[in-house]
Amino acid sequence: MKPLVKLENVTTGYHSEPVLKNVDLEVFTDDFVGVIGPNGGGKTTLVKVILGVLPVFSGKVSFPGQKPQMGYLPQISQIDKSFPITVRELVASGLKTQHPFWPSLGKKQKAQLSDMLEQARLTHLASRPIGELSGGQVQKAMLCRALISRPDLLILDEPNTFVDKVFEQDLYRWLQELKKEMAILLISHDIGTISPMVKTIACVNGNLHYHPSNQLTEDILKVYNCPVDIIAHGPVPHRVLKDH
Amino acid sequence: MSEFFSILEYSFFRNALAAAFLTSILSAMVGTYIVSRKIVFITGGVTHASFGGIGMAYFLGMSPLLGAAVFAVLSATGIEWMSQKGKVREDSAIAILWSLGMALGIIFVFMTPGYTPNLLSFLFGNILSVGRSELYIMLGFAIVVALVFVIYFRPVVQTAFDPEFSKIMGVPVLFFRYLMATIIALAIVVSIRSVGIILVLSLFTIPQITAMLFTRSFARIIPFAALWGITGSVLGLFSSYVFNIPSGAAIIFFLTLQFLLVKLVIVLRDSLLRGRNSAVGQH
Ligand SMILES: Nc1ncnc2c1ncn2[C@@H]1O[C@H](COP(=O)(O)OP(=O)(O)O)[C@@H](O)[C@H]1O
Ligand SMILES: [Mg+2]
Repeated sequence: MKPLVKLENVTTGYHSEPVLKNVDLEVFTDDFVGVIGPNGGGKTTLVKVILGVLPVFSGKVSFPGQKPQMGYLPQISQIDKSFPITVRELVASGLKTQHPFWPSLGKKQKAQLSDMLEQARLTHLASRPIGELSGGQVQKAMLCRALISRPDLLILDEPNTFVDKVFEQDLYRWLQELKKEMAILLISHDIGTISPMVKTIACVNGNLHYHPSNQLTEDILKVYNCPVDIIAHGPVPHRVLKDH
Repeated sequence: MSEFFSILEYSFFRNALAAAFLTSILSAMVGTYIVSRKIVFITGGVTHASFGGIGMAYFLGMSPLLGAAVFAVLSATGIEWMSQKGKVREDSAIAILWSLGMALGIIFVFMTPGYTPNLLSFLFGNILSVGRSELYIMLGFAIVVALVFVIYFRPVVQTAFDPEFSKIMGVPVLFFRYLMATIIALAIVVSIRSVGIILVLSLFTIPQITAMLFTRSFARIIPFAALWGITGSVLGLFSSYVFNIPSGAAIIFFLTLQFLLVKLVIVLRDSLLRGRNSAVGQH
């Protein structure tokens, strides 16, 4: 089986300053990867290089099959909640238009949009600007924006910070369904909450260490900060991409 | 009162009214983008940079507005380019641009032999002297901008709100960002004649902020801002004529007055509602 995304020895960062070094990772169609690591460890940087919005300094990011459709829920702190955009406009911005220079929505897409809003129970809020919504409602709308194009790979960047418990429960219920249809990359700095859900765990702290299980072993906890040498000798087998 | 309306018979006054309408509608569209993206300071930098172009054009004996347009477009797209690169701290770069533009303008005007009578009207605006050809330029440009906003509403709003996500969705982000930078620059230059360099920024922000007291949806801010812009600038225009004061200052005065009055009404209404609610014991 070909992976959806393949990172080989990737080094990336900002303004030629490397943040992530020599990262190897493969994400397959039925994967549910939990990405953990300390603040500033490079979790967001990792997803941005997968999404193609950050330059690859060295190494290679490839899509061995057809280029997958990616759905992205950015970290809430990246979003300007005071921006005057309505829920409907926000969710619709997740739809690809027929042509980049002819941006109107077709009939089918409009139906898709109202379906999505209906499913998420956001219809009654559709015309409301996001500034009038609760944090959880904004997150939900942003999740709809990521899902509306039926992605092959769903990337969620810390969806469980600063939001209400109601959204969090909704989210986890949704993820149980969604994981049957798409690959998921779920970032969190909270290993405890996500580990029961995910299949595998990637620990990111300047480098990336992949654990092909979701077990919270003593060692994984100990290496929560992912020091290189400890993890390389942990009892958990590692998926080593370099040697295949 | 009849004397008040008799001034409508003068063509210069009708031109001024038309200019007030057109700049209000133009700045309603462009200003909503500016306020939404929180790039008011950048817009100020571009405005003042354009003064360098005015001075240079004077010195070279060319059209001042053409000089302003060249400087404004270059600085607006330059700032967009810098922010794409992310290498320069944006605010300090803009401060340099801001003051350098003014300095160049002053130097060139100073070096230009003879008296430069129109200079004050560029700094403070003189809507009462807007001519027919300038009106046509305003009209043409307002139509172009309106078309861009109608046809490209989705990508314009989307690339302003979340350029990174737009890029992932395959939207030509750079194209729309540079297009909007150019539109902002030209909209400023076209409005300079009405309110002047020093005050043009207010035309692109105060009606929008007033509108945002009622709505926080991009599409709905624009007509509200146009309305507030028109009432403020028509009031300013009349008082500019009646009291013989600079039109720009008069217009901005009324735009601000409107904002303060509306804000006051809203604050009073809210405190009344709150008072009633707590009296009933709700909440
Ligand atoms: N836009 C940026 N420009 C420069 N440095 C950045 C930028 N974004 C993140 N960084 C740096 O990259 C490192 C990793 O950040 P990030 O990927 O956001 O970490 P995480 O998501 O794990 O908290 C941090 O040291 C941060 O300071
Ligand atoms: Mg992050």
